[in-house]
Amino acid sequence: MSNKPETKLTRRAFVAGSAGVAATLAVGSTLAAGKTLNVLSHKVHQTVLGSGDGDLMAAWRKANDAEIAFTTFDSNPLQDRLFRESSLKETEYGVGYLIDNRPTSQIAALFEPLGPYQDKDAIEDFADIAPGLVQGMTVDGKLIGIPVRHATQGLFYNEALLEEAGISAPPATLEELIEQAKKTTFTSKAGTPVTGLVLASDLAVFPVMFARAYGGDFISPDLKLVPNREALEQGLAALRAMFEAGSLPRSYATTKNDDQVTWLQQGRAAFTVLPFARGAQLNNPEQSKFPGKIKAVEFPGSAAIKGKVPMASVVEAWAMAIPKNARDKALAWSFIREVSSKRVTLGMAINGNGPVRVSSYADAGLKAKNPLAAVEAKVLATARGAFPPFPEAARAQATFLEEVQLAVLGRKPVKEAVSAIIERVKPMMPA
Amino acid sequence: MQLQRTARILPLLAPVHLLILSVIVLPSLYVIWLSLNRSSFGQVPSFVGLQNYVRVLADPAFHGALMNTVVLVIVAVHLELALGLGMALLFASGLPFRRLLLVAVLAPYAVSEVTAVVMWRFLFDPDAGPITLALKAFSLPTLDWSFEPSHAMVLIGLLTIWLHLPFTFIIVYAARLAIPGELYEAARIDGATRWQAFRRVTLPLLGPAMLIALLFRYIFAFRLFSEAWLLTKGGPARSTEVVAIYLYQEAFSFNAFGSAAATAWIMVAASLLLAAGYVLLLRRGGLSHAH
Amino acid sequence: MRTERFFFGAGKALAVAAILLWSLFPILFIAASSLKPGQDIFAVPPKWLFAPSFKHYAELWRSWGAFFDGLLNSLLITAGATVLAIAASACAGYVYSRNSGRWLDASITGLIVVRLIPPIVVTLPLFPIVNALGLNDTHLVLILLYATFFVSLGTVLMRTFMDQIPRELDEAAAIDGASRLTILRKVIAPLAMPGVLAVAVFVIVFSWNEFLFAFIFTATKAKTAPLVISEMIGSIDGVDWGILFAAATVQLVPVLLFVVVMNRYLVAGLTAGSTKG
Repeated sequence: MSNKPETKLTRRAFVAGSAGVAATLAVGSTLAAGKTLNVLSHKVHQTVLGSGDGDLMAAWRKANDAEIAFTTFDSNPLQDRLFRESSLKETEYGVGYLIDNRPTSQIAALFEPLGPYQDKDAIEDFADIAPGLVQGMTVDGKLIGIPVRHATQGLFYNEALLEEAGISAPPATLEELIEQAKKTTFTSKAGTPVTGLVLASDLAVFPVMFARAYGGDFISPDLKLVPNREALEQGLAALRAMFEAGSLPRSYATTKNDDQVTWLQQGRAAFTVLPFARGAQLNNPEQSKFPGKIKAVEFPGSAAIKGKVPMASVVEAWAMAIPKNARDKALAWSFIREVSSKRVTLGMAINGNGPVRVSSYADAGLKAKNPLAAVEAKVLATARGAFPPFPEAARAQATFLEEVQLAVLGRKPVKEAVSAIIERVKPMMPA
Repeated sequence: MQLQRTARILPLLAPVHLLILSVIVLPSLYVIWLSLNRSSFGQVPSFVGLQNYVRVLADPAFHGALMNTVVLVIVAVHLELALGLGMALLFASGLPFRRLLLVAVLAPYAVSEVTAVVMWRFLFDPDAGPITLALKAFSLPTLDWSFEPSHAMVLIGLLTIWLHLPFTFIIVYAARLAIPGELYEAARIDGATRWQAFRRVTLPLLGPAMLIALLFRYIFAFRLFSEAWLLTKGGPARSTEVVAIYLYQEAFSFNAFGSAAATAWIMVAASLLLAAGYVLLLRRGGLSHAH
Repeated sequence: MRTERFFFGAGKALAVAAILLWSLFPILFIAASSLKPGQDIFAVPPKWLFAPSFKHYAELWRSWGAFFDGLLNSLLITAGATVLAIAASACAGYVYSRNSGRWLDASITGLIVVRLIPPIVVTLPLFPIVNALGLNDTHLVLILLYATFFVSLGTVLMRTFMDQIPRELDEAAAIDGASRLTILRKVIAPLAMPGVLAVAVFVIVFSWNEFLFAFIFTATKAKTAPLVISEMIGSIDGVDWGILFAAATVQLVPVLLFVVVMNRYLVAGLTAGSTKG
């Protein structure tokens, strides 16, 4: 009838075949001998633990006859997956990595309280771990996670562009930053239009930092909404003024975190606020047009608070937790102990991880490898999270950002926006 | 007699219906129940009746999202159908290098949404994007999409058409290919002009296919998510938000599962209203055939 | 007469050029970016001339081995879902085409209406169920899920195409002693090939690039390529755009290849359809 080649495989054969293949693959490598600890984390947590010759966990694996199997996701999907897994009857994951602004009372209840484990089999020199971070992982009096990584925000600037604009030193106060951002909004010698300061608009981190620079905050650690109204207004007004002057990009509303990195690398912006750990990437000669020229300082507070209130930059911390429905909790705790040890913490720091131990910063090797280590340690001392965890925190953040965007873009007067923030977020605060 | 026929056709119908039943229908029953509760991680669901529905329906942000979605869907889908029809006819009328061109036309469909958005974001970058610069060079208006919500909606519309035009095109083109050449022969012999042949032969025979393309494209477009989320995240200040973003935020950002479930059902009702006309047409013309 | 044809031809050429530009420009940009040095990808002003190198591909191979495992998983899942979707849709479409009745009409409307439910919410109850059945992180679960999302469209499309195949062919084959299934396989399916291929393209493209369900239901063993790519756009250690575009280009190629191959069958299907014996 037709010369068209007929498919050789019949439907039944193929379905049976692929089901068979699928079944085999499903059984797969669990037939390997020895124990396996399944860890749910971000890829960076796996990378900083090293591999091959630099594997920091090699001794632990031999001693426990256990393999470590990482399942990695990006940050937000990771948290979502972790909570889903922890809500099942039983999960195959022994250790999950938590971000510090997530554990509310309900979520904390999904994880093992680690106090008893610490009592029985303590972590080496526990007091050495930054107390603020440990506090952040203590919910309802129970310790549910051991801090393992932190990312503190700093002010990055392009030395070369500053020089071109005639600026010899980075800003020491917020007012100086605003001034310098204005000066560096120009067209550079390379023909690139430069915007003074580039910020992402979908993270509360930045407006919060501006509010704190004037001595205020969005939500204080003891859950007070907008404790200093004037300070928040001043912070937003500063952002608005910068947008109007063109020293914040016109595309502010759709600028993302990655854009901040790209713009600095390409010389499209002179300043940005990013975690100190990004220093390496910003100066990477393969990706950046200004390798070695992008430096960082502490984000400056306003001249008004200088000497009175320390500038509390934003820090985000990760911690290791054990889901309550995990199978092998003893092995999980052993892993956590080892990763928290002084040796491994330092090793991870040398691999680019933000160390949670105060003693790590004193290490000469780390200071040599990471030029920003000293600055980071100083900022960390007074840093805290963007906002404390509570059930409606995500919704509060979204509402906050909505009003901030309206204010910065000039669609709403600053005072009105702040009133709206207070009015709309108040019902979301815990009673 | 009826029973015998039923027994014969049931095994052939079974796979499709079993899949739909187990993956969509049964879980949906749970979702109905969920929409009447407050539920989140680490919480036991607590019954709240219709509170979720009331909250969502009263939320001005939801109204905005719904309006954005409806306008976007109506404009983009019809535009896409027109373009798809035009392209299908162009191909059917004979083109050189047809195979190569076909690959070119279908290529955007193969690109993942994430990659496509990264590319289009850069191409249309208001300061530095190649397309923006080209438009400026020709003194044409540019898309100020990162500042003006309406411009952003236009870009989102363009992006979704770019990504999904091949879908519409394939359906219409395949249907066009299935029209036997003899019919056009006969029309030509009867002295029909190109236009008459199009109206009397092509259009009626393409009718069912176009309707299917339209209907399913409606269904998919109503759920448009990645194009808007990756481009603007629904900003600035939620002005380019679509209902799928609203749903995503409830489910994944705020972990308010009850609210998310309610939003989903409201979406179903809304898209049903929107697509009702087409479903009726399909039922009348296509689905029920008297043999 | 000559001028009319000239304008027609010119119009066509213009349309073709527009189509090519519209479709291919962004894609060529992606592919070109994967060959550019890292700092030039998002350079302002944009850099058009550069010395191409496969450095990013080499780096992709070196540091993101998981991506290639993901490609293999995607391949298995996509193939399985496509076969399942086509087979199920063809069977059901055949029944709907050759029969009618109140229940049948209601059920096919139901198939369409059911698709109005946003798949995202269905994951909430499905996650614990899939885990309880032990199907999490298997290829089978994604095969079943992806196929399910296209059987409605598939059934309706198959029905439409099969409607155009005259019943006399069925009857002739039945007289020769063929069973229903054989009629479907040997007589109907070849003639409905354009419809089959259309459904195939949809399922393949969807399964190949799908993210949400792959993210929720897999972990390591069945991790698909889009999941790995989303990790590359990670928020902690930043994006290496060169590697990302290399991965995106690699991700594109198999589907494009399929489209090229499918072309041949599409044209062959046309030939088969018009010579109805």
